[in-house]
Amino acid sequence: MLAYIKKNILLSAVCTLCLSLVAWPALANDLDLFRGQHGVIKISGGTAHIPVMKEAAKQVMSAYPDIQITIAGGGSGVGIKQVGEKMVQIGNSGRKATAQEIQQYGLVLFKWAIDGVGVVVHPGNPVHALTSAQVQAIYAGKITNWKDLGGVDRAINLYTRDEASGTREVFWKKALNNGEIAAGANVVVSNGAMKTAIANDPYAIGYVSVGHIDTSVRPVSLDGVVPTNATVKDGSYPVARGLYSITAGEPRGAVKAFINFLFSPSGQQIAAAKGFIPVR
Amino acid sequence: MVRLLARFLPGFSWCCALALTAAVATLVWFLLRGGLPASNVELLFGGTRAMDALMLRRQVFDGLFPALFGTVALVLLAVSLAVPVGVAAGIYMAEYAGDWSKALLSLVFDLLAGIPSIVIGLSGFALAIVLHRSFDGRLGPCLLLSALALAFLVLPYLVRSTQTALEGVDPLLRHTALTLGASKLQNIFLVLLPNRLADLTGGIILAVGRCAEDTAVIMLTGVVASAGVPDSMLRQYEALPFYVYYMSSQYTGPEELQKGYAAAILLMMICSLLFVLAFVAQRRLKSWLLYR
Amino acid sequence: MAMLSRTLERLFFLAAIGSALLTAAVFLLLCQLAKPLFQHGGLGTLLCSPWNPGHGQYGIYPMIVGSLSIAFLSVLISFPFSLGCAFFITHFGPLALRRKLLNLVRFMTSIPTVVYGFVALFLLVPFMREFLTGGSGMNILTASVVLAILIAPTMIIFFVDSLQRVPLSYRQAVDALGGSPAQQLLYVVLPMAWPGILNGLLLGLGRAMGDTLISLMLAGNAVAVPTALTQAARTLTAHIALVMAADFASMEFQSIFACGIFLYLFTALLIVALRLVGRLSPRGL
Repeated sequence: MLAYIKKNILLSAVCTLCLSLVAWPALANDLDLFRGQHGVIKISGGTAHIPVMKEAAKQVMSAYPDIQITIAGGGSGVGIKQVGEKMVQIGNSGRKATAQEIQQYGLVLFKWAIDGVGVVVHPGNPVHALTSAQVQAIYAGKITNWKDLGGVDRAINLYTRDEASGTREVFWKKALNNGEIAAGANVVVSNGAMKTAIANDPYAIGYVSVGHIDTSVRPVSLDGVVPTNATVKDGSYPVARGLYSITAGEPRGAVKAFINFLFSPSGQQIAAAKGFIPVR
Repeated sequence: MVRLLARFLPGFSWCCALALTAAVATLVWFLLRGGLPASNVELLFGGTRAMDALMLRRQVFDGLFPALFGTVALVLLAVSLAVPVGVAAGIYMAEYAGDWSKALLSLVFDLLAGIPSIVIGLSGFALAIVLHRSFDGRLGPCLLLSALALAFLVLPYLVRSTQTALEGVDPLLRHTALTLGASKLQNIFLVLLPNRLADLTGGIILAVGRCAEDTAVIMLTGVVASAGVPDSMLRQYEALPFYVYYMSSQYTGPEELQKGYAAAILLMMICSLLFVLAFVAQRRLKSWLLYR
Repeated sequence: MAMLSRTLERLFFLAAIGSALLTAAVFLLLCQLAKPLFQHGGLGTLLCSPWNPGHGQYGIYPMIVGSLSIAFLSVLISFPFSLGCAFFITHFGPLALRRKLLNLVRFMTSIPTVVYGFVALFLLVPFMREFLTGGSGMNILTASVVLAILIAPTMIIFFVDSLQRVPLSYRQAVDALGGSPAQQLLYVVLPMAWPGILNGLLLGLGRAMGDTLISLMLAGNAVAVPTALTQAARTLTAHIALVMAADFASMEFQSIFACGIFLYLFTALLIVALRLVGRLSPRGL
């Protein structure tokens, strides 16, 4: 009897050990992907990605000091160009690379999260709902006063992004329907800067990655749908896009580990924590 | 008309002086009010232990240390590149150049001093792309490139300050050693330069300050938003002035804004300290050298 | 020994020539990279057309207007202000305060540009938005005001220098005749010191034109040609900082090199102007 129990315990211990060995990489520590890797991973491009990249870099660099990860912004266009020219190892993009870009540079796209682009105003602004037509008219410079939209009698301060921005591209296509953006609009360089600018300007209107929306700005409903992760996910909010990390050719070594890490449970958890919709 | 002006001028002049003082006072007050209450060691090192960070054993996240480290490394590198060349060129300008070549060279150095720093950054960036292509992607924007571009930026100041320092030596002193049989080089290194060490040091310290504060050059040649402490000169890096710029426009919450303030104060402290050093050097070093 | 001295002397020469050649190299590099522009007469088009990549237009005309208006406005604000401060230091201030103000001005030269921008972003921009200019508060006027403070020390130090170089005997002569400090300044000192003052003015203009951070942070960076001082605008320098690129072929890249060349030529012209003013200077003042 005793021998039987002993044997049983031994068996279960062996089983547990085996199981844990098998399950370990996936569940307990996704960072093991980086075991034995070293070197530099340069990341640039999409600014919506930056919070996720920073957190991922922090976790990786803490566990494996031999790996250095540098993160720069610049916008999706810069990310795609720089990874194509091999100036960085990973180029982030908030829009899909064009067929020509993919072919020219041999790009490989990894879509690790879904995001939307929402119109935002200052939290104190009484205007909470706009139609597509109104947004288009505002950005074309045809509606210039908040009074016309039921707000205070102040000029609307337009904020837009630079041409390299994927957020701008998606917003321009899907919300503005390829319409005009007034040249007099203030230009900011990142999603972070857009949010900060809108949070500080009571008469501002801008557009920002849905993942970046927090209490410092107020999302405006577009044709009755408020941009949130839920509405982006179920497809009722139309201005949605994927967040891509792009490599030139199939990734290898530490870069491959980093891409895999983004798709691992830990990586996906970071994406969710920073406000995006994980793909897995 | 002129008589009216004469009556009104002293008052206007007082107003300007007061306004200038008020502007500087406001600036300092605003920074200190926003940054001091939250300034502590954690702001510098984030969650990492200070000793570990300083020994470069662990990377610092959410702290200013990598930016501070980047700025110090950048300045040391740039100045050690620029000072030998700048001083040597200054010696040539003051002691060797003929009239014609002096006029031409000083025009060129004036031109260099006038080039906007962003244009120098742009040239550095272009150079980076050329290097990137010719070395198969192993070289690109990095700490060394930024240092080179910054060295180029401060070069004309160093040349000019060395030149004017040497040219300002009393002719009597200049010729004493020469008539006693010293060679021209001996005269330069044993008489002229020591005599003007104060001005020379002052010029160098001001160049250091210029390197520490410049943002335009580095933002095109290798500084990034997040990099940690670089482990070689060929890596991208963080720097304080860029950190201040970055945080000012895209802080995500009060804590990050706090860090922006702290970085601004830190940068300002470094630059004022350098300024005071230059000031003291130019005044005290003179008397110290005289009464040694 | 002779060997060493010859080597050293050669090194001095190399340092001087090398630095000079580097300056030329920068210009040549810029020209080389912008070469496609010169070939198709594209430079003229770039200088005159608007920036609208969506419609294939990569012109820098709006940035030229933006740069010039911000630079000139800031000098316009800073000049009388700096002159007033310089007069305070040389003529009107109580002796104890003159030295203090001069030291304060020198200290200002050590304040990093980005710190000016940082403080202005949180103090001046909201003020402008609510009380003066409306809009977002980031516009030509805001940037010019901050830039005026930034270039003031350069101008003041230069002004003080040239005012003080007027021989003491001339100034004492006015004193002896019973003239007030203001009369001394207006009738004797200014007529003699004006080339130096013009020099300082041009230097200030050069600094204002070359500054990147202030306009990048405070001018709003809009790509429209500004028609009023309360509108947002983009400068050439900010445009270079904003339009990052990674390849030589793209039009964006060529347009920022056109910006670089414009800025380079503008400063070169200023330096030549400075030289000419130097010749005007009466009796070596």
